[in-house]
Amino acid sequence: MAGRSFRSYVGKRLVNVALTIIGIMILNFLLIHLMPGDPSNQLFPRDPKFDQSLKWQLVEKFRLNDSLPTQLGTYIYNTFTGDWGTSYTTRRPVFDIIMNDLRWTMLLVGVSTVLTIILGMGIGAYSAYRRGGPFDAGATSITLFFYGMPIFWLAIVLQLLFTTHPLAMHWWPQLPSGGYYDTERYGSQLRLTVPIILSIGKYLILPTLTLAIGSVAGISLIMRGSLIDAMTEDYIVTARAKGLTDYQVLRRHALPNGMPPMIALIAMDIAFVIGGAYQVEVVFTYPGIGYETMNAIWNLDFPILQFVVVIGGVAVVIANFLGDMLLLYVDPRIKA
Amino acid sequence: MESLSRPASCCERPSGRAATKRLVRTRCDLEMRALSVLVAIVIVSSGALALASLVSDSSSGVGVPSALQSRLAVAFAVSQTNESVANAGPDQNITVGSLATLNGSASVPSQGATIVNYTWKLSQTGSLGVTLYGEHVTFVARKAGLYVANLTILDSNNHTSWDITLLVARERPETFLQHYWLVMLIGGLVAAYPAFEVLKAVRRVSEGLPLIAPTTREKFKLSVKKLREINRKLLSNRMGLVGSILLTAFLLMAIFGPLLAPYDVTKFNLIHKFEKPSNAHWMGTDQDGVDIFSQLLEGARTSIIIGIFSALIASLLGTVVGLYAGYVGGWKDEVVMRLNDVVLSIPWLVLMIVVAALLGTIDLLGIILIIGFTGWSMTARMVRAQVLSIREKEFVERARAIGASDMTIVRRHVFPNTFPLVFANTILTVAIAILSEATLSYLRLRPADAVTWGKMLSYASESSAFQIGLWSWIVIPGLLIVLLVLAFTMVGYALDEILNPKLRKR
Repeated sequence: MAGRSFRSYVGKRLVNVALTIIGIMILNFLLIHLMPGDPSNQLFPRDPKFDQSLKWQLVEKFRLNDSLPTQLGTYIYNTFTGDWGTSYTTRRPVFDIIMNDLRWTMLLVGVSTVLTIILGMGIGAYSAYRRGGPFDAGATSITLFFYGMPIFWLAIVLQLLFTTHPLAMHWWPQLPSGGYYDTERYGSQLRLTVPIILSIGKYLILPTLTLAIGSVAGISLIMRGSLIDAMTEDYIVTARAKGLTDYQVLRRHALPNGMPPMIALIAMDIAFVIGGAYQVEVVFTYPGIGYETMNAIWNLDFPILQFVVVIGGVAVVIANFLGDMLLLYVDPRIKA
Repeated sequence: MESLSRPASCCERPSGRAATKRLVRTRCDLEMRALSVLVAIVIVSSGALALASLVSDSSSGVGVPSALQSRLAVAFAVSQTNESVANAGPDQNITVGSLATLNGSASVPSQGATIVNYTWKLSQTGSLGVTLYGEHVTFVARKAGLYVANLTILDSNNHTSWDITLLVARERPETFLQHYWLVMLIGGLVAAYPAFEVLKAVRRVSEGLPLIAPTTREKFKLSVKKLREINRKLLSNRMGLVGSILLTAFLLMAIFGPLLAPYDVTKFNLIHKFEKPSNAHWMGTDQDGVDIFSQLLEGARTSIIIGIFSALIASLLGTVVGLYAGYVGGWKDEVVMRLNDVVLSIPWLVLMIVVAALLGTIDLLGIILIIGFTGWSMTARMVRAQVLSIREKEFVERARAIGASDMTIVRRHVFPNTFPLVFANTILTVAIAILSEATLSYLRLRPADAVTWGKMLSYASESSAFQIGLWSWIVIPGLLIVLLVLAFTMVGYALDEILNPKLRKR
């Protein structure tokens, strides 16, 4: 019986995922086409040096002369077939550009999310364990301070801190930023050799650190709250009464019950982290999706802009779906 | 009959056809009202959005009433050579904030050549310029000072020629309405309530009733008592106390700061740009020679205005959607929540960036609307969850049993019970809205007609403030944003704890 309800639950979620993705695409389409002003004015650069034949090609491709529903149909069809048009500025296919940048953004977001989860849960759990103590007060106020901080500002400050020697301290570490790795030394052809991977790691330190510090507060505060919530439940009292140590109570009873809301939260947090990645990429000139988006906006490169929203939305939808599946595994109550 | 075969939602009771009919009627009534409120909001807001974009979209200039335009003809006589002509004419005067039209004209010598394009580069010293194309272009000067207009003409023989003229942008004396629209809006809303009360009192007196009904007096006493209680709890909460002190300081800064500002932030002084901190300029001057300390004081007000108003819009929209979806239930709820999921799935910042980019140039009102209209979905989801649980409560059932309409139930029972949640959440949203504004500004999507801390940070980092010795230009606005966000967050969390003790016990 459990198998059937499990399957129907997953099926329902999958239908939801598909509906949401279609919805994102329609919303994105409407955003571009229903904004005040003629869409063709926004779709094409106002630069007269812009190749006019490319313009007709685009009109043909997106069927800009047809009715709105036809355009929508074409848009969705093109999106699914990977035929995303050509960038105005680089004249490369948008699909290639976005997929290339996506790898690097995923690397950045992935590493920093892992870092955030480890840091946030550690800090949150220890604060809950020693709640009211000096560690709790210190950690809570420091994470709150970083919570209120604009990520781009943190990035600027960290960048300045690690590209100069503050107070003339010569031993102060210097961290590189700007680009994926040291292309001057290793060439722009990406090969997966050990020195290049090390260089990639080195260039990743500042962006991931910024992103992790900026988003750790959300996780650690909720972790602390949900653990303290769990600690006030009756079964904790029972566990204490039967003589378990504080650590055992936390590890065996409080943590498993505090986990499900955490997983849901981390999945929801992906949307926030993507927003943070945009800022970090711009400050550190790390050419991922965010950097590409901002460039597209400053150059009015609408073919790229058209798909950035979809990519961001789909990433969040998938993250939420995975979170739900994980919840299913962790929380037996959902299956029943 | 169709209405009877609807999937029975939990609030339908098996009490005969008459009751069901009434229920259906009142529900339709509720839906109609909720819908009309939504439609009204959408119409008003899209009107405002369209207006904002029309007014601010400098490159199209369509639809701006001609009274707003100060037409200006820069007649360029550019001849068909590769050299520039001597000064085309005297410097032109334009007005800050109003549309100016630049007319380029060029004579093409015979040979059958035609002019292919006109490229205008308008720039102000120290800032990035705009490039416009066309024989006649319109643009809006954002700040007072000197603009350099460079017109390049390309003909079909691939000859180019160019000329430069100077545009002097002067401040237009602002009308009362323009300067105080926000104050008047708030004032109007605030004044509407006492006016309404006075009207009610007049009616009561004319009907021979006492001026203040005893129930009103009791209610007033109760609410005062409740407010005192909340205030006491807020100040006895550590987070609430720190947050309240910070918030009071910032509110004072927002009210009195701009009055204390030593310099006018709209006046340029290009001779004194990038000056180091001194007695005259405590924090130095920016790329336009404007005093940074004055901008800091001015920025407090704009940042708080943007935060509060966009959070209000987001909360209002979210509450209406959440109340509707949660109370009506059924497939309509499903549809609304699917739509909500869609909006929620797109990272908020990404959505805001794209909307701002599509609108082109944005102003203060524009940025408020952008943040407000993209940020309602979280509130909607939360309110809906709350409504779902309130709908099942006994007092709602009881109200329905004595024949209250759905509208009354929502207004008198459901909404008041979600209000504490919405209120605390709105204050938390203010913090997020302030952060969003700073981020948008940093990404060069900044309000053109206002000074905000985010905008200061963006100019500071574009001018690499650290390298030219103006470190406080980056550090202090950033720190102030952090503290302001913290103040709203702390007060929001503390209020949440006080007002919704069952929801989040910590």
